[in-house]
Amino acid sequence: MSPGPHTRRRSVTAIVALVVMLGVAMLAGVGLGAVSVAPSDALGAIGRMLNGAAKLPGDAVIVDIRLPRVVLAALVGACLASAGVLYQALFRNPLADPYILGMSAGAGLGAVIALTLTAGATALRFGLVPAGAFLGAILTIIVVVRLASLRGVLDVTSLLLAGVALSYVLAALSSFIMVFFRESMTSVVFWMMGGLTGASWPYVWMVAPMLALGLAVPLFATREMNILLLGEERAAELGVDVERFKRVLLAAGSLLVAGAVSVSGLIGFVGLMTPHMVRLVLGPDHRVLLPASAIGGAVVMVLADLAARTVLAPVELPVGIVTALVGGPFFVWLLVRRNGHR
Amino acid sequence: MTAELTYAGATIGYPGVDVVRDATLSVAAGEVVGLIGPNGAGKSTMLRAVTGSARVTTGVVELESRSLADIGPRDRARLVGVVPQQVSAAFSFSAREFVLMGRHPHLSRLQQPADVDISLAEEVMARTDTARLAEDGVDTLSGGDLQRLALAQALVQQPRVLLLDEATSHLDLNHRLQVLDLVRELADSGMAVLAVFHDLDLAARYSDRIAVIDSGRLGPVGPPAEVLTGEMLARVFAVRAVVGTDPVTGSVTVTPVLREEAVERASRGRVLVLGGSGAAAPLLRTLYLAGYDVHAGALNRGDIDHAVAEALGLGMIDLPAFAEVDDAAAAHLRAVAGEADAVVVAEIPVGRANLAALRAVAENTVARRLVFVGALGPERDYTGGEASEAARTAVDAGAMIAHDPDEAFARLAALTRAAGIGTSDR
Repeated sequence: MSPGPHTRRRSVTAIVALVVMLGVAMLAGVGLGAVSVAPSDALGAIGRMLNGAAKLPGDAVIVDIRLPRVVLAALVGACLASAGVLYQALFRNPLADPYILGMSAGAGLGAVIALTLTAGATALRFGLVPAGAFLGAILTIIVVVRLASLRGVLDVTSLLLAGVALSYVLAALSSFIMVFFRESMTSVVFWMMGGLTGASWPYVWMVAPMLALGLAVPLFATREMNILLLGEERAAELGVDVERFKRVLLAAGSLLVAGAVSVSGLIGFVGLMTPHMVRLVLGPDHRVLLPASAIGGAVVMVLADLAARTVLAPVELPVGIVTALVGGPFFVWLLVRRNGHR
Repeated sequence: MTAELTYAGATIGYPGVDVVRDATLSVAAGEVVGLIGPNGAGKSTMLRAVTGSARVTTGVVELESRSLADIGPRDRARLVGVVPQQVSAAFSFSAREFVLMGRHPHLSRLQQPADVDISLAEEVMARTDTARLAEDGVDTLSGGDLQRLALAQALVQQPRVLLLDEATSHLDLNHRLQVLDLVRELADSGMAVLAVFHDLDLAARYSDRIAVIDSGRLGPVGPPAEVLTGEMLARVFAVRAVVGTDPVTGSVTVTPVLREEAVERASRGRVLVLGGSGAAAPLLRTLYLAGYDVHAGALNRGDIDHAVAEALGLGMIDLPAFAEVDDAAAAHLRAVAGEADAVVVAEIPVGRANLAALRAVAENTVARRLVFVGALGPERDYTGGEASEAARTAVDAGAMIAHDPDEAFARLAALTRAAGIGTSDR
């Protein structure tokens, strides 16, 4: 709770380092691709955009295509990793993550329904898709928690099983809707595969407030999140209003998941992996863990998206494949290294 | 003294189950109340009602005369500190960070622990002997260290009421006394303490009053010496126990003799045991457990054998403390010996005071039904040879000498079978 001067300095150093990494990653994301752009040119183009100065001929690629995509990747990564932190604290289980709990699939179904209902009406989509995703996510987590606590107490094994099972059912329902409305669904199929291919500035403006709201509330409650790690009963003994706090975390997490899923479909691993990596390096204190995971998730996602569109260029991989291929082994390495130190 | 914590006709439980019914109890500032009872009787539930983990369905639980229902979690945590049975610490916070979590109810949302909080934490860590662990990760500590850290965490809340749920169960002897001495000290400086104990001796030593809870009902509440009786222990815990006084601390001690359900319900015949000075206690217990109708003879009040015979509810020829065996007692012994299937003389010292008892059984019992534990020789004959002579005469007439209580037991079994009585054992 009260890091000594040593720990505090280390936390600040880590956050600064992560911000620098994010800057470098985003610059690389903007610069690299089918046409490579030097970092100075990229910065120049962004500067001209912010100043409202006249565009140079090469600027369009950077400002209208690469930049929104990189920014969106960062936002989605931050959403997923933060949601992972919230759910791992809420359920005191390292396996809890929006994907495994079925919330991503729930948000996906909500989004698909919203997309179907608004077929052809692009303007409506920007309002209804995130709303549908949020509803889908929060209804899913409520059902999963109910199923897991049928015997009175929340059983973690049941929680994960219910999450995975419900995830399959919801994904199947999404597919069913997509097959049924095949004609109007090209864009939906594209979206469902998970990725940032269609990224544009309106998507950025849609996700940014969801991230801000979903992250701001828990950032004011990091001490409660720490105490919750001691168990719900102990947290209550130490003065936390546990039931209310759980509802706040659930709502905030659902908002974050909805934000990510609305624009990028289902992307696994980032929510599970990033908080773990941060925790292994910086410890369990949520005052550091939550902001560091948000930034870390952004870095991971920007780099993953960069790899997805450059490794086999001109073929673009779904970004979920990259997060799984790179994140899995890295996670295992961290785990082995830590156990070796004990 | 003001009552800090009050249960008034409180029924407490969980959805669908009432665990504690109609409990009335109050704990005053400066007082330690020990809560004892068998497993599952509702001790923890009593405590959990205070922190809202168990539900109060009828009646009220009050803190400082305010109903719990009117006190929010933060205010409650400033009034009540809890040390739980089990402390979970799967995450690698340092011990100091762990203790500082107890400051939560005193800090506003954006406030970080300040110097005053940190020095408070250091003070309670020093008092709970955990200061040297400050930098260690709690996930690397032993159960005992964690339990003392949980106490430190509760104390840093600066509570008026302290609830201890078996708070010394993981502690070694030294730390157990250290923690309870600290709790006593806190109570003496005005804290109200309600503590669940399994160790009845510790409960007696550290509690001002003891409350017994059995199957969800609060039983007697009062000073240890009034509440801890053989009758209560047999009824609530199904244990026959000798209740005595600790010679050093003067507090009540409880020495369990046997569990009710361990007693064989067979009838193996009647045995008279001549005891004294604690020489017969183990044999009395063994014979009783095996289902014999045991009588114990010429025991003085204050003697350990007397206490054990009383705890077991044996037929007894008893004497006032330090009294000699008089004619009436000798006659009583002769009568019982005459009806017994076997008579055992435990390895007792014989002096002028109890020579008459030895003579009563040695000279008036059919010698073949008589068993001596160990030969009666000069080393425990304080009668100038008269006791040894009486024993020798009996042995010459057919009495047996067993080398130890086990052999005596075997010989008794043979004797009672020969008498044709132990036939009902299946």
